[in-house]
Amino acid sequence: MAILLDEKTKVIVQGITGKQGTFHAQSMIEYGTKVVAGVTPGKGGQEHLGVPVYDSMKEAVNATQATSSVIFIPAQFAYSAALEAIDANIKLLTIITEGVPVKDTARIKQKSMKNNVIMVGPNCPGLITPEESKIGIIPGEICSKGNVGIVSRSGTLTYEIIQNLTINGLGQSTCVGLGGDPVKGIGFNECLTMFENDPQTKQIILVGEIGGVGEQEAADLVKKEITKPVYAFIAGQTAPPGKQMGHAGAIVHGKSGTAKEKMRILSEVGITTVKTPSEIPTYILENN
Amino acid sequence: MPMLYEIEGKQLFKENGIPVPKFKAYDGIESIKAFTEELGNDIMMAKAQALSGGRGKAGLIKKVSASEAEEYIQSILGKDHRGKPVEIVMLEEPMEIVNEYYLSVMLDNASGKYLILASSRGGVDIEEVAEKYPEEIYKEYFSAFVEPQSYMFMEIGKNLGFKAKTLTSFSNIMKNMFIMAQKRDLTLIEINPLILTPDNKIIAADSKVVVDGNADFRQLDIASLKSQRDRHTDLEFEADQAGISYVQLEGEIGIISGGAGLAMATCDLLEFYGSSPANFLDVGGGADETKIEKSLEILSRQEIKGIFINFFAGITRCDDVAHGIINASKKFEIKVPMVIRLVGTNDDIGIQILEENGINAYGKMEPAAKRIVELVKGGN
Repeated sequence: MAILLDEKTKVIVQGITGKQGTFHAQSMIEYGTKVVAGVTPGKGGQEHLGVPVYDSMKEAVNATQATSSVIFIPAQFAYSAALEAIDANIKLLTIITEGVPVKDTARIKQKSMKNNVIMVGPNCPGLITPEESKIGIIPGEICSKGNVGIVSRSGTLTYEIIQNLTINGLGQSTCVGLGGDPVKGIGFNECLTMFENDPQTKQIILVGEIGGVGEQEAADLVKKEITKPVYAFIAGQTAPPGKQMGHAGAIVHGKSGTAKEKMRILSEVGITTVKTPSEIPTYILENN
Repeated sequence: MPMLYEIEGKQLFKENGIPVPKFKAYDGIESIKAFTEELGNDIMMAKAQALSGGRGKAGLIKKVSASEAEEYIQSILGKDHRGKPVEIVMLEEPMEIVNEYYLSVMLDNASGKYLILASSRGGVDIEEVAEKYPEEIYKEYFSAFVEPQSYMFMEIGKNLGFKAKTLTSFSNIMKNMFIMAQKRDLTLIEINPLILTPDNKIIAADSKVVVDGNADFRQLDIASLKSQRDRHTDLEFEADQAGISYVQLEGEIGIISGGAGLAMATCDLLEFYGSSPANFLDVGGGADETKIEKSLEILSRQEIKGIFINFFAGITRCDDVAHGIINASKKFEIKVPMVIRLVGTNDDIGIQILEENGINAYGKMEPAAKRIVELVKGGN
């Protein structure tokens, strides 16, 4: 089962002929993702990586009936590409691009919500259902199939956690990297609910960061609706208040945004919070 | 959170149809005579420009007469305000006030919509007002696609007590402020206070503007404002120009990592093992060897006792990281202990390159972090 994507999910790569698009489309294909088409305006009719290239999303969707797309397009053009995907009836839209202006993201988000599109990102590593399919840039070789669902605001830190799980024999159902921008598509709560309803997922890991209110909202949801065990790690425990630490989203907005405060709130609703990423498998194995 | 100086915000207000008092910037060199003549008034406000709050309490805002102004400007120029010297003082027309209001438009992170907040209790700490009189803060969400028109803000204006001519002025100001936020990619515009004068004019007496750094490519004039340079330390600015996210901290061990989350977790881990990070440094996705070299060069100019390089490479390639480290160590002597942890894309090649140069790399981050702390604390 898993969530959001499986081996049957048809994916269109927007920006497939670019440097990033080529590299990661190749890696997705090698992993087993059903990449059915690419889109690069002006390059329609060509074949790239063994995949047909179309000029527009509408043509690509008509030809392939795909319902997912992933965007590897520079920030200046990501807005237009995202709206094009939504207009072409894409239902799972993943934006890997870093540096998209917040106003553009807000508009993409609003249009996604209106059209019932699940939007992931921007500035995110994407998602993976191990041994079936991946959309984005999560390294497939560190993942293994299993019962742990992961939802994270971080990229490389998530890889760290996935690898620790895999080494300890704990496979994953689906890993979702939400992205680090202040305004983004789906958040912790949408994923927590999907994991709760997914029979394959037995435990859930939440990886948060300083700043924003997503972790606090997740705590509320876990208290009311999530019955599966949840483990959490929050990065930025030593971050000074008010300093921007790389992600625009990782800004401490008053007391409620600090890592310590978030860990306290999550602990209060019964979530196991850990101090270092390597402690997560230890706790899961103890509780199994 | 890139903020603008008050005076830069007011210049933008002026260009976008939001009335502001007459003002002029001084850096201590010119005479204030021309401004005094323009005002036709002997009394004026002198306000030090700073990116941190608390200017009033620090004595950096003062009502002065023309004869005192130059001396006062000289006295506060160069004065430290929360780690930064004052470099500009704004002289401003003093305003007579009938009432003070609070007004802001922001791009709300949680909803992704624009949010307008307004209150007739302005001029004070708005968070306190929100706590004591929540019903007196007027809130309205707007679509991210909205095309602001004056009529949309009539109700807010009436709620604040404006009527007749002041109501139309208010709704126009609100509209202009909203359009400015959209057009200039601002994530927050806050006016506190917005004032009503005895002759029924509505004027923005202060400005707080936050820009979206991601939109620099289409807001080149804003990106080149002085505030955008001044919000960084010199090293931070240099790193920023090289596409590296770097924040100077107070601790012992310099870190280099890829990805903001992992870089933060790296800092946390040093503290967990009993030391502290001297910086946060994220080379970003897909960093090449020159970025790694540049990062080491930046660290070499900071007072540190050790270096911890921690990569879980996805887009970044470990051979690039290794080459960058070797290049840097050939160009300048790395005088402090260094521990490297390298995993991910091409890690076998990266580790081989390091080993050929007599450097060992760790595969797991916890033992590596523990090791650098031991070395810094004087262990073997």
